[in-house]
Amino acid sequence: MSERGASLRVKGLESGYGRVNVLRGIDIEVHSGELVTVIGSNGAGKSTLLKTIVGFVTATAGSVSVDDRDLTRTTPERAVGIGVSLVPEGRMLFGPMSVRENLVLGAYSKSGRGEASLAQDLERVYSLFPVLEERAGQSAETLSGGEQQMLAVARALMSKPRVLLLDEPSLGLAPKVIAEIFHTLDALRAEGLSILLVEQDAKLALKHADRGYVMRTGEIVLSGTADDLLADDDVRLIYLGKWHGKDDVR
Amino acid sequence: MRRGVLKFAPLAIGSLVVACMPLLVDDRYLLKVLSFVAINVVIVTGLALLFGYAGQISLGHAAFYGIGAYASGYATTTLGLPWIVGLIAAILLSALGGVLLALPSLRLKGHYLAMATLGFGEIMRIAFVEAQPITGGPDGLGSIPYPSIGSFEMSAPVGTYLLAWGAAGLTLLLATNIVRQRPGRAMRALHGSELGAMACGIDIVGLKVRVFTVSAVLAGVAGSLYAHLVGFVSPSTFSLHFSVILIAMAVLGGSGSLAGPFVATALLTLLPFADAIIPGLSRDALALIQDWEADVYGLIIILVMLFAPGGVAGMLRRRRRGAGVRP
Repeated sequence: MSERGASLRVKGLESGYGRVNVLRGIDIEVHSGELVTVIGSNGAGKSTLLKTIVGFVTATAGSVSVDDRDLTRTTPERAVGIGVSLVPEGRMLFGPMSVRENLVLGAYSKSGRGEASLAQDLERVYSLFPVLEERAGQSAETLSGGEQQMLAVARALMSKPRVLLLDEPSLGLAPKVIAEIFHTLDALRAEGLSILLVEQDAKLALKHADRGYVMRTGEIVLSGTADDLLADDDVRLIYLGKWHGKDDVR
Repeated sequence: MRRGVLKFAPLAIGSLVVACMPLLVDDRYLLKVLSFVAINVVIVTGLALLFGYAGQISLGHAAFYGIGAYASGYATTTLGLPWIVGLIAAILLSALGGVLLALPSLRLKGHYLAMATLGFGEIMRIAFVEAQPITGGPDGLGSIPYPSIGSFEMSAPVGTYLLAWGAAGLTLLLATNIVRQRPGRAMRALHGSELGAMACGIDIVGLKVRVFTVSAVLAGVAGSLYAHLVGFVSPSTFSLHFSVILIAMAVLGGSGSLAGPFVATALLTLLPFADAIIPGLSRDALALIQDWEADVYGLIIILVMLFAPGGVAGMLRRRRRGAGVRP
């Protein structure tokens, strides 16, 4: 995981389900070692954006590239191979399997590297999430929600990604656990990993991100540094639930 | 080390008993019944990979069994080709069927996949009846020769018995290798969460096609063995009823296991032939069992689902855990 983060570039991306177009020309960029967030309300297309980047959903137009390597209309296994790993919404763990087995499966695309490399990678994610080492032999479904989310992130890290995509990692978790997970994301970013984070909790996301995009009905309506967005009146009103600045409205 | 030896002891003793059975008993009927057990072990092991490990259901496995049986029968009788060519034809055609059935499985899950495979099974059953020039229609295909290589003939009951159990042994060996290694992990992941498996970089399209094909080929091989053992095949053998019995064996055996389905297959296959293993059983008692066979299967499934949802495999695991050995 000491490898440098890659840059991700999404240009004019369109996709959808059947005849329903969800993404309508998305342009976003994550530079190497940046934590970028996409915020927006339910149904804005945030999850679809991540799913289209890794190829769960097929793009109908536009392009995705990682370090100038084209990834448009890729398959998920190729995306993982290139170094783009998704922590899916709802975690999608292998419930009856042990924590360790889940992690080993995370390294599936690197199976050729041998036992020593696997042990090293396991040690690495255990140091990020010590609770997972304590629970290594336990089946994943017996973990608490927070531990499951940690396992989902750890499993994605086992493929040694250069770009990590996270879909709503804070969903349904206690504030203390959320803080712990975001603290780890900060640490990963500090090591140079590029992170694209999709969140409904805009305040939380912007607090940890370098830059952000605001998405609404399949389009990017606003973008800027995290600080700018935190200070933006529209963002404050719609996504942060606060109203300051314009006193005459009430 | 000692534990390792102990672990393999039952396996070694079991194999020895199976291999020496023809020397120990001189009962044609028993050997034939035990050959059926071996044939069912081949097909149910394939189903255990597909259903118990990869989590993909098939209610059409009788069709692959039929494809294998007719391919082998047609090649050796009508075309007069050697047995080995019949076996190869059975493998190739069932593999083709497996790939074809894998295609809907890429888009369908659970109940919908069950319906699609059920449809496939029915289409093939009707095809077996209608393709009269090849299959002999409802009258079936008769006088299929015993397996032979050159002048060496494996006749019933001893030759076919050894051949069937040889095939079963090879199948179990192959399946054990698959489940213990990378593909086995990927299959269990697919069973756990398809989206999760994709996120881990598992090529689930390729995996599904491969596991369907392996499973179909094993069913085809079993069908070929059956055709040459019995010497006669007709469409009624390859009905939905048989597919359901196969699924019952896999379910009773328990998922994520090969030993469980093996035991379940042996028990359920022997049930209607109880007189072969219980010498004193009266004809009336046997007739009763055979009349109520389907009901007994149904009852066993309900009871297992209620009281031992892990099936035979679950029971084996619990016993092992009780003995202080981690599974």
